[in-house]
Amino acid sequence: MASKEELIQELSDAIISCKKDAVLAAVEKAKEVMEPAEIIEKGLAAGMNEVGVLFERGKLFLPHVMMAADAMGAGVAVLEADLPEGSESKKLGVIVNGTVEGDVHDIGKSIVSTMLQSAGFEVHDIGRDVPLRNFIEKAKEVKANMIGLSALMTTTLPGQKEIIALLKEEGMRENVKVMVGGAPATQAWAEKIGADCYAENASEAVAKAKELLL
Amino acid sequence: MATEYALRMGDGKRVFLTKEKIIEEIEAGTADAADLGEISTLSGDEIDKLAEILMMPGKAVSVEQGMEVPVTHDIGTLRIDGDQGNSGVGIPSSRLVGCMMHERAFGADTMELGHIDYSFKPVKPVIANECQAMEVCQQNMIIPLFYGAMPNMGLYYTPDGPFENPGDLMKAFKIQEARESMEHAAEHMTRDMVWIMQRLFASGTDGVNFDTTAAAGDGDFYGTLHAVEALRTQFPDMYIEVGMAGELVLGMHGELEYDGVGLAGLWPHQQAPLVAKAGANVFGPVVNTNTSKTSAWNLARAVTFIKAAVEVSTLPCHVDMGMGVGGIPMLETPPIDAVTRASKAMVEIAGVDGI
Ligand code: B12
Repeated sequence: MASKEELIQELSDAIISCKKDAVLAAVEKAKEVMEPAEIIEKGLAAGMNEVGVLFERGKLFLPHVMMAADAMGAGVAVLEADLPEGSESKKLGVIVNGTVEGDVHDIGKSIVSTMLQSAGFEVHDIGRDVPLRNFIEKAKEVKANMIGLSALMTTTLPGQKEIIALLKEEGMRENVKVMVGGAPATQAWAEKIGADCYAENASEAVAKAKELLL
Repeated sequence: MATEYALRMGDGKRVFLTKEKIIEEIEAGTADAADLGEISTLSGDEIDKLAEILMMPGKAVSVEQGMEVPVTHDIGTLRIDGDQGNSGVGIPSSRLVGCMMHERAFGADTMELGHIDYSFKPVKPVIANECQAMEVCQQNMIIPLFYGAMPNMGLYYTPDGPFENPGDLMKAFKIQEARESMEHAAEHMTRDMVWIMQRLFASGTDGVNFDTTAAAGDGDFYGTLHAVEALRTQFPDMYIEVGMAGELVLGMHGELEYDGVGLAGLWPHQQAPLVAKAGANVFGPVVNTNTSKTSAWNLARAVTFIKAAVEVSTLPCHVDMGMGVGGIPMLETPPIDAVTRASKAMVEIAGVDGI
């Protein structure tokens, strides 16, 4: 019989292969010896993280990320059926993500949305060149735990700061985490404007969101 | 205390580093490029040379005499007249005046006429205006004057264009539909770019600059290579430059090929041969600046990538040097100390043919 380490490896490899049947087969096998939560966290999610890294390195492409996410979703669905009543895995958190007003760059922001969604967050991507107020409205509407703010130009970067001010004005800052990103943003900038975190790329965004919301 | 040298972070902030720390940063930067691109790191001598350039006492530095290279400008005219987040200085002047200033006052070796939107698609409705501006500029200028714009394939997707946005389709796991949408968009983009350049060539342009190629990923690169191929067949004398959007061709589609080579995930040294094969005259490789890292790290990384591209390229390489690319910090007006150091390193270490 395969050891736990081998099973975890197999789950992760199956996700990286982006093949749904391989993932389902690995899940069936792992179910015999492992708890659903462990299969998801140590096997499937770990594989998904690796997919993110391979994407950043130009070794896997967006369709692969989506196929892997789809396969992971199928694996999780099988496991959910086995979870004790009332403990079905819930969304990791609700995130509103968009590119700030004045800025039409949305390629990176969309990749971040896709990866967050693939990792199990409920993501509301509100697009690009989004009026600053809309972030607040949307966050209220969907009861967001986090707002993701993308800006690709030094001239639109201050929009991130203004949204944090708006959140404070609305008395929402305590309940909503703010994650900033986009090429001109840095850790130092995030600290300066009082954001909760900065992420350099999509896989880091997933890791940081998990850190803050789980 | 060891002497510290004034460098920059990728976001332009001043940092002071010792020689040891600079060398350490250079080693890490070149290692990062080598790891990602599966190319060689800079040699010990090249690392020393780069450190020397970074530590030079002058505010601005220059290439050694005899090593001067041509300097090509993209939409410089807009940068004089415009002021819309792209480092424009807001001096009222026509595009003709802007072009002539670059030729006669700034010493540009070639120049480019561009539209305020700087993408091909929106040129279609104002083509007559563009042709006229080109004719007037050509009548007043001697240096080669190109027409330049961005392929910008995103404009063919909803909400800007006719094809369903592949980003939305992907998120709904409609992968095949997303791919088809990209293929259709690429085909339309190719057709538009060829149509526009046929007209501008008739109005006297010396050539075309496809700027920020592959911004929307592999489909964008695919469509542009096909436009280059079509233009080369129709116009053997047209001067064609292909400049990239970033260091890596993003795999949005993942399966598109040109000349039997998959386009997704290509680094500069892998892009160069395809650009040559399509029939271009000049390749403009790009390396992105990481705003969280030092200029020593960024420049070493950029020089490593570009050197590898120059080595394999059969075309002259005119490296893209500007805000946030080519080891230059991301600032509207990039600091001259960083710009001149990056340029000198690109010429003397990476061996670029132009900037
Ligand atoms: C593609 C592109 C465009 C496309 C955008 C298409 C689209 N739908 O997005 C088009 C052609 C439309 C465009 C237009 C313009 N652009 Co532009 N563009 C670029 C380019 C080449 C690449 C950006 C990109 O998509 N990168 C790839 C993605 C994957 O990376 P990314 O965006 O950085 O995202 C990653 C991370 O930053 C992070 N991230 C991103 N968002 C978020 C959000 C969160 C919450 C987190 C945690 C992380 C995160 O994760 C992502 C994945 O790893 C850059 C130069 C460059 N090479 O970076 C210039 C650049 C950003 N553009 C620039 C400019 C000036 C413009 C224009 C003003 C030009 C003009 N005169 O028309 C207009 C902008 C108009 C406007 N109002 O916004 C400048 C900005 C300079 C500055 N002052 O800061 C740049 C740097 C180019 C340059 N050197 O001149 N552009």
